[in-house]
Amino acid sequence: MAHIVKHITVVPSYKDFVDIVLSKTQRKTPTIIHKHYKISRIRDFYMRKVKFAQQSFHDKLSLIITEFPIVANLHPFYGTLMNVLYNTDHYKLALGGINKARQLIDDCAKDYVKLLKYGDSLYRCKCLKRAALGRMVTIMKGQSKNLLYLEEIRQHINRLPTIDPNTRTLLITGFPNVGKSSFINKISRADVEVQPYAFTTKSLYVGHTDYKYLRWQVIDTPGILDHPLEERNSIEMQAVAALVHLRAVVLYILDLSEQCGHTLEEQLSLFRNMKPSFSNRPILIVINKIDIIKPEELPEDKMKVLEEFRAEGEPVLEMSTVTDDGVMAVKTEACERLLAFRVEQKFKTNKVAAVANRLHVAMPKKRDNKERPPCIPEKILKRKNAMEVDKPTRRLEKDIEQEMGDDYILDLRKTWLLANEEEKYDVLPEIWQGKNVADFIDPDILKKLEELEKEEEARENAHYYSESESEDDEETREMRKTARKIREKRLILTKESGEKRRVEKPRMPRPTKRSRSQAQLEGDMMEMGVDVPNDEHSHYTRAKSRSSSRPPIKRARDESVGGTSRSKSRTPRDKSGLRDSTMVSKVKKIAKKAQKPRNHQAKKGEGDRVILNMKPKHLFSGKRGAGKTDRR
Amino acid sequence: MPQNEYIELHTKRHGRRLDYEEKKRKKEGRRPHEMAVKAKKLRGIKAKLYNKKRHAEKVQMKKTIKMHEEKKTKQKSADNDSQFGNPSYLLERENQIRAKVLSNTIKQKRKEKAGKWNVPIPKVKGVSEAEVFKVVKTGKTKRKGWKRMVTKVTYVGEGFTRKPVKFERFIRPMGLRFKKANVTHPELKASFFLPIIGVKKNPSSTMYTSLGVITKGTVIEVNISELGLVTHSGKVVWGKYAQVTNNPENDGCINAVLLV
Repeated sequence: MAHIVKHITVVPSYKDFVDIVLSKTQRKTPTIIHKHYKISRIRDFYMRKVKFAQQSFHDKLSLIITEFPIVANLHPFYGTLMNVLYNTDHYKLALGGINKARQLIDDCAKDYVKLLKYGDSLYRCKCLKRAALGRMVTIMKGQSKNLLYLEEIRQHINRLPTIDPNTRTLLITGFPNVGKSSFINKISRADVEVQPYAFTTKSLYVGHTDYKYLRWQVIDTPGILDHPLEERNSIEMQAVAALVHLRAVVLYILDLSEQCGHTLEEQLSLFRNMKPSFSNRPILIVINKIDIIKPEELPEDKMKVLEEFRAEGEPVLEMSTVTDDGVMAVKTEACERLLAFRVEQKFKTNKVAAVANRLHVAMPKKRDNKERPPCIPEKILKRKNAMEVDKPTRRLEKDIEQEMGDDYILDLRKTWLLANEEEKYDVLPEIWQGKNVADFIDPDILKKLEELEKEEEARENAHYYSESESEDDEETREMRKTARKIREKRLILTKESGEKRRVEKPRMPRPTKRSRSQAQLEGDMMEMGVDVPNDEHSHYTRAKSRSSSRPPIKRARDESVGGTSRSKSRTPRDKSGLRDSTMVSKVKKIAKKAQKPRNHQAKKGEGDRVILNMKPKHLFSGKRGAGKTDRR
Repeated sequence: MPQNEYIELHTKRHGRRLDYEEKKRKKEGRRPHEMAVKAKKLRGIKAKLYNKKRHAEKVQMKKTIKMHEEKKTKQKSADNDSQFGNPSYLLERENQIRAKVLSNTIKQKRKEKAGKWNVPIPKVKGVSEAEVFKVVKTGKTKRKGWKRMVTKVTYVGEGFTRKPVKFERFIRPMGLRFKKANVTHPELKASFFLPIIGVKKNPSSTMYTSLGVITKGTVIEVNISELGLVTHSGKVVWGKYAQVTNNPENDGCINAVLLV
């Protein structure tokens, strides 16, 4: 039903409904009021609450009324279905009740707003508001049963299958338990329950199938029994509604084996009784369960009944949903018949003439007997021929698998390309000495090794390794000695300074004169036996000062040569563009004068818009009435 | 394609989750804790409503528990089931009936003292003129204050026409005029929405009666022909008195009790 009724919002129960509206009123209207406020304000405050509650009720009720389908506007199939399932009278009454409640709530709000206009105190207005909301809630309370009923219907409607009454449809019908649901399960993806007892299917089910690249709707109906319409229950009535109103091909399913509990004669009489209801539609009689008993094997009297069926003038087909025999044939036949029927129906309408006279199917005639073979280039032809030649094709794994069956084992190693063919089936350890072999695999390892060996050879040739560093030559020994001395001295120095620092009085800053000097350094080093080169290039001599403030180098004066212009600094901004000093002073005076009013207001300049003391509100707010800008 | 009872079908085919029952039981067991947490967290009107609901539920629960427990507890058998009647030393014990009579007589006396009105609301609080009438300023400069507007609910008779502005001292606004009242029949215990015939008496003042002001305690005459009551002589009663039991100006409707 989803394509007819788009979406129905949840219908809340009476209690939820009232809670929703009242809390919404509380949230969305102002909440603070005092009794010293102007009476008109108090009245408006409460009127707003009443009106808001009324509007909320109205909107929610209107939503219900508009969203539920109107039975008269539906397709007759759906109309009948709704009548069968929900009882249209009850449904209409419920919606009518909701409509009435909406009207009553509107009237109630109108009355109370009228009374609120005469409210003379906060208390009275509040009482009236309370009474108004209470009345509205009471009205809703009367609808609590209707709301419940509508919610149930909503839930049921959502679960109804989407049946399009105008599309190509196969309709399956017959006695209960003859194999209708099995058939729909076979030809479509509908997952209808199949059980070996009657009335397993209690409602309509829809499946879809494909034939000739078209979509076909298959409808499974509950089984129908052979009795008058008045005695039928609501399950059967659903099937009848579908049978009567849908323009579909009807598949009447027969149980030849009579395992469904109904004899062939009963099935025949049901068919005869139902036939008028699906007149003007293609009908197929389908004999099911031929895996149990074939029509040829029937006893004499049953055979006669079957002959009567055949005499009805409708095509009789055979199938077995268990073994899948003839199922597809039935489907194809049904679809073909419906398609032909629909085309025929279309031809009957008066619209078809308008289209048909514009249609023209061209049937070309042969011009002459000249041969006009297709032109294929030589190269292509060659290739094509090459393809067609029966070359010994490679045996595929698939062929092998089919040949060997269950013994087949996928063998990928036989295609490996190895230098040594025999190594193909060697066992490869995955882990070797606690390490993953794969981590150490390098495809270029041999090449690298070769390169390394070459390098090594080159080194060997150049006597790289033979020239070892002599340990005991004179120079090194001397150096080591000095180093030891330095180390000892440093140790002593650190210990000494540690001793010195232990003094526990505040440490004074270092004197300006540093205790280190070049001479001292040189002395110390000499003492330790290090020869200090004392020349300009030694790095410890006094560095050249980095400061630029040094006395300029004296230069000899010489005669200046005229003609070169000197650069000038820019004129200050307050003097730029002025002729002379008199003009400058004049301009300054003007500027000061202009600044005066701002100074009076203690403003920095024209950009300063700070308002230090606000003027009373009445001078700033409200529309401008009569009067001038500065005098209102 | 899910259609019809597809959820039930699924459970029928595949069963429920293995822990379905356990989860359900646990959820049920956890519910009181969750409710307690909610009750603690809520504030304001929500808390008030929630606690009221919970209270009612608890009372109901206690009652049912008690009802079940009563089977176990021993019940006192009635005293007067002995064959020979009560012994003489117990004769005075159960004389409740007389006490009731006594208290009833006291009550009756009190009632008589209170007033002659034998009506549902015998004592009516007076309504001052300042409350009922609002001064309406008139004149070009709004200096004159001789006009009054009634701020209570009124009943004006059929075919009432207002006097010319100059002579109309009391204005009874259209919005506050009522024609019908909700009348309860105390014996039938049923309410009817009946048309008012007139105001019989407003106990606060005779002026209110003549103006038709309806306040709490006012006796009004209603048309009860709808009810189809019949007098002893067989005539259909059509007018009867009723007393107003609410403040119509606050409630927006008139509730009254029929005086029978």
